[in-house]
Amino acid sequence: MRLLKAMLALQEAKGAVTDADLQRLARDEGVPLHRLQGLRSFYPAFREQPGPPVQIQLCRDVVCRLAAGQDHCQRVRAAVGDRADVEVREVSCIGLCDQAPAMLLNGQPRRGRLEDVRACLGGTGSDSACVAGTTPARRWPTDPYASPQARYGSLRRLLAAGRPEEVIASLKQAALRGLGGAAFPTGLKWELTRHAAGAEKYVVCNADESEPGTFKDRLLLEQLPHLVVEGMLIGAWVIGARRGIIYLRHEYVHAAQALRQEIERAYATGALGQGIFGSDFGFDLELFISPGGYILGEETALLEALEDRRGEPRNKPPFPTNAGLHGRPTLINNVETFAAVPAICWHGPDWWASQGKPGYKGLKFVSVSGDVARPGVHCVPWGSTVREVLELCGGVAGGRKLKAFSPGGASTPFLPASMLDTPLDFDALKAVGSALGTGAMVFVAEHRNLLDVVLAQVRFFRNESCGKCVPCRLGSQKAVAMVEQVLAGAREALPVDLGELHETMARTSICGLGQVALLPLIDALRRFPREPSLQSLRRVRS
Amino acid sequence: MSGKMLTLTIDGRTVSVPPGTTIWEAARLLGIDIPVLCHEPRMEPVGVCRLCVVDVGERTLAASCVRLCEDGMNVVSQSAEIEHHRRMLTLLLLSEQPESSAREATTGDDALYALARRQGIDEIPFPDGARGHPRGRDDSSPVIAVDHQACILCDRCIRGCNELQHNHVITRSGKGYRARIAFDLDVPMGSSSCVACGECAAVCPTGALTHKALQHWRREWAGGEE
Repeated sequence: MRLLKAMLALQEAKGAVTDADLQRLARDEGVPLHRLQGLRSFYPAFREQPGPPVQIQLCRDVVCRLAAGQDHCQRVRAAVGDRADVEVREVSCIGLCDQAPAMLLNGQPRRGRLEDVRACLGGTGSDSACVAGTTPARRWPTDPYASPQARYGSLRRLLAAGRPEEVIASLKQAALRGLGGAAFPTGLKWELTRHAAGAEKYVVCNADESEPGTFKDRLLLEQLPHLVVEGMLIGAWVIGARRGIIYLRHEYVHAAQALRQEIERAYATGALGQGIFGSDFGFDLELFISPGGYILGEETALLEALEDRRGEPRNKPPFPTNAGLHGRPTLINNVETFAAVPAICWHGPDWWASQGKPGYKGLKFVSVSGDVARPGVHCVPWGSTVREVLELCGGVAGGRKLKAFSPGGASTPFLPASMLDTPLDFDALKAVGSALGTGAMVFVAEHRNLLDVVLAQVRFFRNESCGKCVPCRLGSQKAVAMVEQVLAGAREALPVDLGELHETMARTSICGLGQVALLPLIDALRRFPREPSLQSLRRVRS
Repeated sequence: MSGKMLTLTIDGRTVSVPPGTTIWEAARLLGIDIPVLCHEPRMEPVGVCRLCVVDVGERTLAASCVRLCEDGMNVVSQSAEIEHHRRMLTLLLLSEQPESSAREATTGDDALYALARRQGIDEIPFPDGARGHPRGRDDSSPVIAVDHQACILCDRCIRGCNELQHNHVITRSGKGYRARIAFDLDVPMGSSSCVACGECAAVCPTGALTHKALQHWRREWAGGEE
């Protein structure tokens, strides 16, 4: 973390990390220049030269595209014109999908409508355009504590009279699975990490939520940071770790503030540090701000970043449970997973199980965006139907009919409106050929161009490919180029079958990004035979 | 090596190896030649070209150059599916290559072109990523020619420079499709801290890094006169 922290500090202080900075850093740290160049050029937070005083980062991904139109970025550029003091960069989803279209103005989250941009340019950009903390604070059912004084109650109880094995058994009984999308059984992961050989172990919270349409972790971090910290503490106590890191995407500035306050508070009240609550258990926790990129949410890429390398996913096995940070056993869970643990410990696994619909166990935070009347985050019983979630959000915007929905994030295939009664559940959605993923539900109304929507998802993966392995680096680029050529009328036939290219990427890519990069498009071609926007592509398939 | 020997089967044949052996190495013991571009036995494997993928019965194929042998493993290194994927990967790489290989014109050992010939590829169906030579050349070094267009980002030069020779000059720079190799803080090779040891050109499998002939160098030294 040392090098990246030093580079982030330079970027923050000077607005750039210049060659001269890196030459000094290389000398001070005793590392070769090429290594620093590898880092600076990989992470989007760094720039080689300072930018102009007004820097606009405009989201180009699917939800903002639905909200503001396919040509939104061009219109913003046109509005800015040739002003030398303003820079517009198109960036991947910034996790403000409930406020779409969104932007970062000099790093601060804002709504990004044309009028918002104009207001900023005219110097009247007021705080009213600020988009943070937008979901009103609520009492969430996963927070067992009625008052701030009661917080960390589960940890207190465990430290006083608990056994780590009981926690693992509870997580298993609660059927908790990784809520960052991969659905790995949490109890099993904790057990594996607890039993992994090694005197030194780590706990890492993956707060790098970056998939288009996903923003529930932002809300959890802003409103329930104490549950995330307590979940990590319980994890550390169970596996025997003394050090933890929260890896947060840099765009979540308000979440960073909430986490810093919570960590400070936890140290002050004896929940963090040495001799926690009078026990012999000690745990230190720090916040690490990611220098950027969706791929860092891949857990081994995240570890590479924490080890001051380019965030390129590792070949697996070994898995982090056995060989994670610095080769040591590392417990990595998503924000929502950690935040669920205190309630499961407090109320017991039977309570957690009873929160689900009949036949299902637990609660799920969903991020709802796209063509709905009221986008936002909801905590719903496991097994709720997609239709119920849509109704919670006021139905389809403008009273239109629904065309399709993606139940779980960019990689989860769109399903037709006829499948609205599918329950939100890992297995139920898998059975119909999609996935629950992160629970990022994007709804698309009848008048939309579905090809434009799924192509935006494929472009996202292309844009965020780290480039480490051949199938993903080249396959995603070629696929997008070929489809764009067809749409531009420059190509009458696809030279290779996209399905075959997808198969190669799915079977040979190192990580999940390359494995799913073409899936949204391939699946839509199969699943929506009468969708007008897909006909042009279907006609020219090889 | 410690621990007991591991026994596994590769393409139906049984082999016993010490722990820490990769599938690629075990296959070599059996005389099975798994194609690979990014690996070279003197180096730590990185598993990025994916040509060496094999089927170990998992959801995805495993890169045999990095995947360690496990006791009882059943490995398939040749099948119609695997050949199909290897062909697709070769096509992806070829679509970015210059029309002719500088390596074939010098040392004659371009591993990518050789692989393509073995696969009987005579046509590249993708949009031509090499048209106009967008990735550029770097002729600044007096002894090594750099053609970024021919680079397949196998990382062999990086490991050759940094791990084998400890000269620490080369990195991957950039990200995704725009990633490429770079020297120091991304300066031309001739202005970098390169000591012209030649390791990078020796281990490069394509025409990306090739030796310049001395007569070429002599010409430059003489101010361009013949």
